[in-house]
Amino acid sequence: MTFADISRRTFLMGAARLGAVTVAGVPFIGTSHGQQVASESGVLHRKIPASDETIPAIGLGSWITFNVGNDPVLLKNCADVMGAFFAGGGKMIDSSPMYGSSQATIGHGLASLGINRQQVFATDKVWTRDEKGGADQISQTAENWGISRFDLLQVHNMLDWEDQLPLLQDKKNAGALRYVGVTTSHERRHDLLGVVMERAPLDFIQVTYNPLDRAVENRILPMAQERGMGVIINRPFRGGHLTKALRGTPLPGFATELGAQSWAQLILKYIISHPAVTCAIPATTRVDHMRENLAAAMQDAGTNTNTNAQYSVLPDEKIRHAIITAIGNAL
Amino acid sequence: MTEWWDYHLVDFLLFSSRVYYRLFAIFNQAFWPVNLLLYLAGAGLVFWVLRRAHTGRRHLMSRLVPLVLAMMWAWSGAVFMGYYYQPINWAVPYVLPLFGVQTFMLVVFCVRKTPLLFCWRGDFSSMAGVALLILAIPVYPFFSLLSGREIMAAELFGSAPDPTAIGTLGLLLLARGTWRWLLLPAPVLWCLVTSLTLWAMDQDIAWLPVVSAWLAILGGWMDAKSGVTRKSASGTDRCPT
Repeated sequence: MTFADISRRTFLMGAARLGAVTVAGVPFIGTSHGQQVASESGVLHRKIPASDETIPAIGLGSWITFNVGNDPVLLKNCADVMGAFFAGGGKMIDSSPMYGSSQATIGHGLASLGINRQQVFATDKVWTRDEKGGADQISQTAENWGISRFDLLQVHNMLDWEDQLPLLQDKKNAGALRYVGVTTSHERRHDLLGVVMERAPLDFIQVTYNPLDRAVENRILPMAQERGMGVIINRPFRGGHLTKALRGTPLPGFATELGAQSWAQLILKYIISHPAVTCAIPATTRVDHMRENLAAAMQDAGTNTNTNAQYSVLPDEKIRHAIITAIGNAL
Repeated sequence: MTEWWDYHLVDFLLFSSRVYYRLFAIFNQAFWPVNLLLYLAGAGLVFWVLRRAHTGRRHLMSRLVPLVLAMMWAWSGAVFMGYYYQPINWAVPYVLPLFGVQTFMLVVFCVRKTPLLFCWRGDFSSMAGVALLILAIPVYPFFSLLSGREIMAAELFGSAPDPTAIGTLGLLLLARGTWRWLLLPAPVLWCLVTSLTLWAMDQDIAWLPVVSAWLAILGGWMDAKSGVTRKSASGTDRCPT
């Protein structure tokens, strides 16, 4: 199966499901319909603005969680998380040369699970200030993953972006790479990010966004929409601190209406309901959390017993504000 | 352009405390019972130093202590740091030379003409030295259990870098002579590095290594001030040259 096959099928399936859901009176809210479709796995897909390809709105990050070194028990644990991710319809996995052994852990997982190259949207980064060192680093990264070509490579934290972005563009032009992007996880770099977005032809940006860290809403996300750039969201749970802080706090009543059974799902629904967002990449060490994260983007998470209508997947603007307020009150 | 110094300390912490402490578990399991024997040998040596510091066999002790410490630093550096820690922490290659230099210096002290002499002088340095040895040897392994981790994840003097560095500082405070301070920089620097790491991981014991380093420096300064590093047998100095 190729990406083109998946796109066509997911598009047709999605169109059918979208119609059914709209008829049921619970349309997707907060995002233009042209940006998203549902797949056969049930996970909401988003269109990559630079192409007509779609990817699941929930991906898998590897920051900290997959940096497990040579520990066989933890390597197996990470492979199990990846197994649950792929079984649930996930596709994008993101890593970086900065993340210790995370790349090798992903490579181990892909090999031990026997994952077909087409099943994964391989996303990584280049992170060096050596203007000649990017190519070698990418080769090492590919070796760690056990693949020959990445779908998306990004300049990590825009480090030496003037030298590294042309390298990535050259690879894309040569057909050795499909998409190019830059990342940051710091609000203090948003000015620079704006400059890079203005100057460089990017397919993706990766930024931090969640109900507490909303700085990108003002300028970066609208800019990405305007310029046709996909948006990947890192640190959706603030590295786990946000969900940890909310642990034990009862969910607000409207969570049931959204089909959210946890704060993590509510946060993810908030994130992916922004129309500019293509994909959120929560990281986890737990299989049950992986399933829970994917379920946040499931179209048919359940049925409202009162109205016998399907849950809406995503919150509208009013509910998005209510999520912010609920989290603010809970902390 | 973004710069390296634009990062925060926590940005460089790319592993969880779970993974960090698992390193000790798989290290101890893989080298069972080598790490335990090293720990017991180190504990026995320290007991011997404290019991016999002012009596006979000091010459043998002055050679044996740096030799055993050199083995511990080499083992901890090459095996734990190089094989287990390095894959999860890209900064390890930058601190590994500390372990190499310390091993080399300890070997030099083992064979040099004027050896290290260990003694109990009853002063601040001696007491601080004993306190650090108690922390490094009988106390440190129990932090694992107290934190709810398995006993196999215990950090042992002789194989785990933190108690080995703290124990080395304790022994240096019990030694005499000015040249011993050449052995101070590596454990002090390691204590600073590990305290920052533990602090970034939000660990309650993060302050212990840096306070140990500060005690060692303070003890050295007080020794220098009182002239204990130079004076021969007299009064409380029970460690004649």
